[in-house]
Amino acid sequence: MGNLKRKKENSNLLNVKGFKSINGSHPIQNNLKEAYVSYQARIRPEAKIKYFNYDLAKQMGLISNSHDEVMTEDLESILIETFSLQIINEFDIENNKEFPEELIKDGSYMATRYLQLQHEDKVGKSSGDGRSIWNGHIKHKGKIWDISSCGTGATCLSPATSKYNKYFETGDPSISYGCGYGELDEGMASALFSKILHSNNIKTEETLVIFDLGKNASINVRVHENLIRPSHIFLYLKQNNLEALKSIVDLYIDRQMHNSEKWEKCPKSKRYDFLLKCFSEDMAQISADFEDEYIFCWLDWDGDNILMDGSIIDYGSIRQFGMFHHEYKFDDDDRFSTNIKEQKQKAKYMLQTMIQAVEYIKSGEKRALNDFKDHEFLSSFESTYNNRKNRNFLYKTGFSEKHIKQLLKRKLELVENTRENFSYFEKFKSNKGLIKVPDGVNWQVVFSMRRLLRELPKILLMRDDLLSQEEFISVAKAESVDVSEIDLNSYGTKKIKDFQASYLDLIKACADIFQTNESHILQRVGSRSNVINKADRVTGDAITLIVDKLIKKIQDPVEMHEMINLINDTQRIDPDAKSKYAKIPPKGLIKEIMKIIVENREGI
Amino acid sequence: MNLALYGGGCSEEVEAIDRALLDNFSNPSEIKMTFIPSCSYFAQEDYNEFIEQYEKFNIHKIIKFEVDMPYSEIMCEQVFSSDIIHLGGGNTFYFIKHLRKNNFLKKLKDWVRAGGVLTGLSAGAIIMTPSINTASFPDFDKDDNEVNIKNMKGMSLASFEFFPHYKNSKRYDNELIKYSKQLSVPLYACPDGSGILQKNGSLSFVGKVSCFFNGKKFSIN
Repeated sequence: MGNLKRKKENSNLLNVKGFKSINGSHPIQNNLKEAYVSYQARIRPEAKIKYFNYDLAKQMGLISNSHDEVMTEDLESILIETFSLQIINEFDIENNKEFPEELIKDGSYMATRYLQLQHEDKVGKSSGDGRSIWNGHIKHKGKIWDISSCGTGATCLSPATSKYNKYFETGDPSISYGCGYGELDEGMASALFSKILHSNNIKTEETLVIFDLGKNASINVRVHENLIRPSHIFLYLKQNNLEALKSIVDLYIDRQMHNSEKWEKCPKSKRYDFLLKCFSEDMAQISADFEDEYIFCWLDWDGDNILMDGSIIDYGSIRQFGMFHHEYKFDDDDRFSTNIKEQKQKAKYMLQTMIQAVEYIKSGEKRALNDFKDHEFLSSFESTYNNRKNRNFLYKTGFSEKHIKQLLKRKLELVENTRENFSYFEKFKSNKGLIKVPDGVNWQVVFSMRRLLRELPKILLMRDDLLSQEEFISVAKAESVDVSEIDLNSYGTKKIKDFQASYLDLIKACADIFQTNESHILQRVGSRSNVINKADRVTGDAITLIVDKLIKKIQDPVEMHEMINLINDTQRIDPDAKSKYAKIPPKGLIKEIMKIIVENREGI
Repeated sequence: MNLALYGGGCSEEVEAIDRALLDNFSNPSEIKMTFIPSCSYFAQEDYNEFIEQYEKFNIHKIIKFEVDMPYSEIMCEQVFSSDIIHLGGGNTFYFIKHLRKNNFLKKLKDWVRAGGVLTGLSAGAIIMTPSINTASFPDFDKDDNEVNIKNMKGMSLASFEFFPHYKNSKRYDNELIKYSKQLSVPLYACPDGSGILQKNGSLSFVGKVSCFFNGKKFSIN
């Protein structure tokens, strides 16, 4: 009787109709047949749920807000029926593979086409979702969410099929990336990383559910309000396919107009210009934010690693550095990635390409990319980027939004001077030169500017004089760096004084504007900076180690969800946020995880 | 003024103790304070409340120092240039472990002897006394000793033992009476909002304080 009652309650708390509507269907299928390859899919009932994001599922309306964080039989089975899928691919068909009829899904699922720089053809005729399908979309409370899954089998758009000109069996051990499986550790890293970045207002995909298929294989289900990437659009530009280009851009805009408050202001007759305006702002903003939050995201001409609004997609090479490791490059076997400083130029290049695409749609004539090198949106990109850099600098220094607004309005030159002095130390490199790191190359920077921003206001609050050179180095030097690695010349010595002087001028200016004393501002700035620049901020290295631990130690998806939420809460850098967790010393697994975070805080 | 021990409570509850403490300073706006939380984990909210608590007294030089996180020597120097250092509440065992690890118990003692004013709330207050035993009982209200502290010696800056968050009830009293029989010094129990100030060896009490000595209970105030 108890069980029966529990089942009935659970089914009321599940949006069964919503789950059933996630059946592969998507507006792209009605409008742009050439945008995808269609696959039938079968359920993999043996999959085990490793992680389920209850908070996200509630936002999407898949479960009721009053659903407890428990994995009921009903919830488990509907998740598996809806998302634990493997495509029936060309290899299966060629080899007459048979599957139980009851496991074959009714709908058809898209593997979408988009540009990828690792494909040789460079125009996107054979590239796209190599191991993913789009599960579909769901509407809830006026919003639409796109859902796709990584690890659902080898498609004909994978680099392996393109390279060897043959179809592969899903799971074929002779190839890695092309085998069609997702990796459990990669999926868990995406889930954790995206949760942290999302909480800290970095736009990103989010993970809904992860299925463990054994042997580190997994299906990782991800969600965003609009999963179209710039590379979905650039594909048709490269192919000179105006009709398809217009269709995919229109699909993107239609969704934005439905979902986004910003797009409510879009005049109907100027929708393409509005797209460029938004894209320009988003590209400039992410360029600044990624640099200032030390987020390494391999941006390139293909527009593959981000979504149209600048959200991060695909965490394979995403990192958050502990310091400004601006020479780090990821080694992707046959090429090196861009570094964090080059991301801006790549974002700008994507904007120029988007301008070319939009002008093509508007005029019906494709002009050379170079014709748009002086376009007004490239200029506005620069001003948005600079404004954002100034704002970000003041924010991480510890000024409140109210302070920032006034300082930018009244003391812009001082803000820019201080930022320039700050940047000098942020980029200062060790005299050891370029070194190999496990997944690429790096040239160690020597100053931990987060530490400086954390400690400087406290020190200046407690004493009347500036730090000497020796003291400055002692406070700002990374713990992993030896003093002998720092070759500071007379210019550097001057910069130490200049930075502190301009920092104090900013404090004084803020105190003057708000008619208070400097100690009051320094104290506020120090308190906020302490959170924003906390020592225990997670890096890419730490994420890798944490995920290994989580996978080994947690089998229950509810426990995994709780632990990811707890880790996320330790990583929030909003100085005004309150935690729901008890302020007791960490123990057990979270204690081990915090240790990993602290030990890897200066890394990549 | 050398020491102030707070039994617990929010800023409004402890205002009387704060006033008694700050009466000893001629110009509060010049006071430099350091707040040392018992644990850095989620400590920011306590720090923000601490700032608000003392901004009311026109104190604007308050820094936080986390003893369980990496820090620079320069930062450490600033801590000991403070007029008041406050040890926050929380888990006594975790706190003392990290104070010991960084040799902070000795540094704090030397600093107090040189004229610094040390204040502490709950766990922070217990640590200032000869022993931290009071954190380990009664069973229904004790700190977890997850860090496995066996050496129960405190800083011995106060000449008495201290029991914070005291509730005037039989079950507390039974435990405290029993424990006081083992002691050669008094045990003071302070409910939230009460506290003890020690200046040059003499004590003053703020709010209701109970004293347990030789198996007997006495009420003060």
